[in-house]
Amino acid sequence: MAYRPKRRKRRIFHRRKVCRFCADSSMIIDYKDPKTLRYFVTERGKIIPRRISGCCAKHQRSLTTAVKRARAVALMPYVGSVEA
Amino acid sequence: MRRYETIVLIDPDIPEEQREPIFDRVREIIPTDGGFLIQFDDWGVQKMAYEIQNKPRAYYVRLEYCGVGAAVDEIERGFRIDDRVMRYLTVMQDDNPDVEAIQQMMSETEAAAAEQAASEEVTGEEAAGEEETQAETAETSPGTEETTEAAEEE
Repeated sequence: MAYRPKRRKRRIFHRRKVCRFCADSSMIIDYKDPKTLRYFVTERGKIIPRRISGCCAKHQRSLTTAVKRARAVALMPYVGSVEA
Repeated sequence: MRRYETIVLIDPDIPEEQREPIFDRVREIIPTDGGFLIQFDDWGVQKMAYEIQNKPRAYYVRLEYCGVGAAVDEIERGFRIDDRVMRYLTVMQDDNPDVEAIQQMMSETEAAAAEQAASEEVTGEEAAGEEETQAETAETSPGTEETTEAAEEE
């Protein structure tokens, strides 16, 4: 049998992300509040995925609907950033 | 009975007297089947994130009300027909709201608003009047600061 190298241990430290809405209960997800929602979209206006934003499933879900509602009433862009 | 919230984007170029009929219609529809308006929130003309009908701005109004689904349908039908309405969005906030609690809250906020308006009138008169009142307010203001600090410490 060919020599099989031992699988190298991956030494990457993942910082444990905590859902920001779970950590701080005073933060409320509201589609009328684009200032808060802006942290959870890219500069191009795309919603940041859960694996990057660190949100829990429940809050990511409500976040997604909030962003989509905000887009519908032109409080947030579908594409591109709002020049401040 | 459900609690709804509707955001309406209205053409910013039309004069105010043409805007009012839209809301009058909504106010007429809401009371059907025991519904009532909770809050009429006027955001004014705001810049939008993207252009709608080649307009960069819109007049935003948020309506919060309790009502039945038929009323919502009727309101939205009106918005769809009306050319002055650029866009609307209705969101259900509460499936089974406590109507009495809301009405009580409404009356309380109304009373508070009336009180505040009255006190503002009084302070305005006092400021116009004498210097003594100014000294009094100066004396009272540090006291309020202390209380807030104490609350923070707790």
